Amino acid sequence: MATHFFGLTSRTYKYSHAVGRAEFAGTGFRNPTDMAIAADGTVYICNRSYENRPDGVHITVVTMDEEYITEFGSYGEADGEFMWPTSVALDSKGNLFLADEWLNRITKFTKDGEFVSKWGVAGSGDGELKGPSGLAIDADDNIFVVDAGNNRVQKFSLDGKYISQFGSEGSADGQFNNPWGIALDGEGHIYIADWRNDRIQKFTADGKWEASIGSTGSGIGQLNRPNGLAIDADGDIYVADWMNNRVQVFAPDGRYITEFHGNAELSKWGRDKLAANPDMIRQRSLAYANNPGYGQGLAHPCAVKIDPQGRIVIIDHTRNRLQVYIKEAEPALV
Amino acid sequence: MAEQDIALMAHLLRRAGFGASRDEIEAKATQGYDSVVQELLNPETQEAVPEDLLIRYNPSYYEAAAIENNVQQWVWRMINSPRQLQEKVTLFWHMIFCAGHSKIDSGQEMGLMVDIFRQNGMGKFDDLLLKLSTNPGMMYYLDNTESHKANLNENYGRELLELFSLGVGMDEDFNYSEDDVKACARAFTGWNIAPSYPPFPHGRSPWVFRFDPADHDSSDKTFLGETGNWNGEDIIRIACKRPATARFLARHLYNYFVADEPQIPAWRLTPPRDQAAIEAMEKAYYDSDHSIKAMLEVLFTSDFFKDEAVRYQKVKNPTEMVVSLLRMTGEFKGYQPGLFEASQEPKYMGMDLMNPPTVEGWHTGREWIDSGTLVERINFASDLLGNTELAGVRSLVDRLMGLGAKLTPEQFVNGCLDLTGPVVVTSDTMGQLVGHASQEGDLSHGSDAEESEFTRRTGEMFQMIAATAEFQFE
Repeated sequence: MATHFFGLTSRTYKYSHAVGRAEFAGTGFRNPTDMAIAADGTVYICNRSYENRPDGVHITVVTMDEEYITEFGSYGEADGEFMWPTSVALDSKGNLFLADEWLNRITKFTKDGEFVSKWGVAGSGDGELKGPSGLAIDADDNIFVVDAGNNRVQKFSLDGKYISQFGSEGSADGQFNNPWGIALDGEGHIYIADWRNDRIQKFTADGKWEASIGSTGSGIGQLNRPNGLAIDADGDIYVADWMNNRVQVFAPDGRYITEFHGNAELSKWGRDKLAANPDMIRQRSLAYANNPGYGQGLAHPCAVKIDPQGRIVIIDHTRNRLQVYIKEAEPALV
Repeated sequence: MAEQDIALMAHLLRRAGFGASRDEIEAKATQGYDSVVQELLNPETQEAVPEDLLIRYNPSYYEAAAIENNVQQWVWRMINSPRQLQEKVTLFWHMIFCAGHSKIDSGQEMGLMVDIFRQNGMGKFDDLLLKLSTNPGMMYYLDNTESHKANLNENYGRELLELFSLGVGMDEDFNYSEDDVKACARAFTGWNIAPSYPPFPHGRSPWVFRFDPADHDSSDKTFLGETGNWNGEDIIRIACKRPATARFLARHLYNYFVADEPQIPAWRLTPPRDQAAIEAMEKAYYDSDHSIKAMLEVLFTSDFFKDEAVRYQKVKNPTEMVVSLLRMTGEFKGYQPGLFEASQEPKYMGMDLMNPPTVEGWHTGREWIDSGTLVERINFASDLLGNTELAGVRSLVDRLMGLGAKLTPEQFVNGCLDLTGPVVVTSDTMGQLVGHASQEGDLSHGSDAEESEFTRRTGEMFQMIAATAEFQFE
């Protein structure tokens, strides 16, 4: 009966499942950098791939149950193409916006992947972009662009009209060093992954600094180049702690809660792939016996989102899959 | 600044690195030769490559599986790393400790092996050989994974002695016997690799060295006259003590950094080109407890290295050709698309990085050049140097204009040769270049039309220089 609880005890998490495998097309992902999850649970995965495999550059559309829907977009500079995609976000109508940090532009697609429009001018003036990374769209359909190379966040209308900006280069409160990810909470606060300062900064909706979380390192609550982040309905903060190969969870006031290192089991598509390659089943089996933990862990997780069911969805970048966790009111039996 | 200082610094940066832009050559010449040598020899005093930014803009470089990704990343480091000698030494070891992707079939393992050369290439030779001998890629490439106590495979044992340490022979004698090869191979039994995850469905896991004591031959072995229950580490210790190893390293370093030597199989019978230079480096090897850095320090501070007679006498290997041109013209500094194609250029010129033809490696010197590779070399060089829209080439044109309002054909050719090297050419070549320039007379750049013409003619002259025989050398 008697127990000792240390730390925060009102939240527990349970690994749910994995989605995806490494592929250059179809049922899998290739160096995914970000995702957007629609209200109906449709997931848009932004695949960056690499230069000699431009066939891997596109958006893959899947469900959280690992049903393949379609893919769209391709490598290049023409309308509807992209080269170095960093981020995607959905507006209230379900249109998808994609940031390309090489072309310095934002491209709009319909939810079915039809090219609609593009905007963005390279530079450092108001409304100009230098390496856009994270994207977020608020309830009023304003789009926030993390303008990484200019160390600021800019706010635009969905058709690219400049509205406002905040942030400058540096390490003081409200300043940035090559920021990457962005998330909004239910109250309109803006959270920025201040990547090279190894911290998360919280701002009001109009860009006033409120708080910072994290410092450089690999200890509890420390960060090593955080990139993606998400806020759940309770205001808890999930941070993809990229170079520490984990996702850390913080309470709304910034206290450390827990962390995920990855618990992946084979995904459905992963099983399909192995079933077609029996020699690899054998090899995997031997490797698993030797080092069971290796295949489960997160490797450079670079984005985390909350799905409509409140599940925590992590892009496990180097393993080309999603790892999904469930937040439970009752403690999980593990 | 004295022209000879610029020429000497350009020579040092070509050999101890992958060349430099003209601005950098002049800045380093002002800094002083000895100070620059110390910077090169002590990479930790130079800024490191920002690994976080490199992976941010190229996320696939992290645990990169594809061989193209590993080659591309390496070429990026050659172009961008402030630690130029470290990258040059990395290539040096890759050309000696040859293992290739054609068999290993894992880009990641090739990248990890090359990183061993980067991290240990200037340290104690014994340590480097031990890293190499426990490198899973090499263990697999040379069949040590197939060498067992009960069923010996001599391949690694033989290559360790023949190609990685002692060499076949020296001074017309042999350095080891067949019995030594067997003893060596027996000492390495049980040095193997743990099972690793397959490529599907999420990518391979890195291969991990694993010692299997049950598969190790722990009986006594006589190796190079010493008897004991030797393991691989003992073999390396014994081999590294031998004069043949000091000779082997000194000749390789001379061949790579100073002047082309005969191909390695000839070394038993062919004496070194510069006996005194070899002996000085051998002495440094022993005086420093087997430090490669100490040997390099002797080399770069010696008269035999600074000697004008060795300049432009070494055929550029394809990687040097490509990377030095990219550095000279300022291309691919920082993070941008397009490097994949450039990183494949050495392959088109006969040097498929991370995939040498055999364990013996590439034949170097004049064997880099044949009618096919020569065309590739000239085309690549002239396409780059002739493109006056590139910022780096434009800056050379501007410097040339700075020489005066009006240039004679002789002044023009000399200026172009100076800025692209300085390249030293024969009088015959000089005659041809000046003859061509003279056809269109003196050059001015006062008006827009003259400036445009000046630019066009400079690009053309750079292309002609790129096509000379002399430009194939460094």
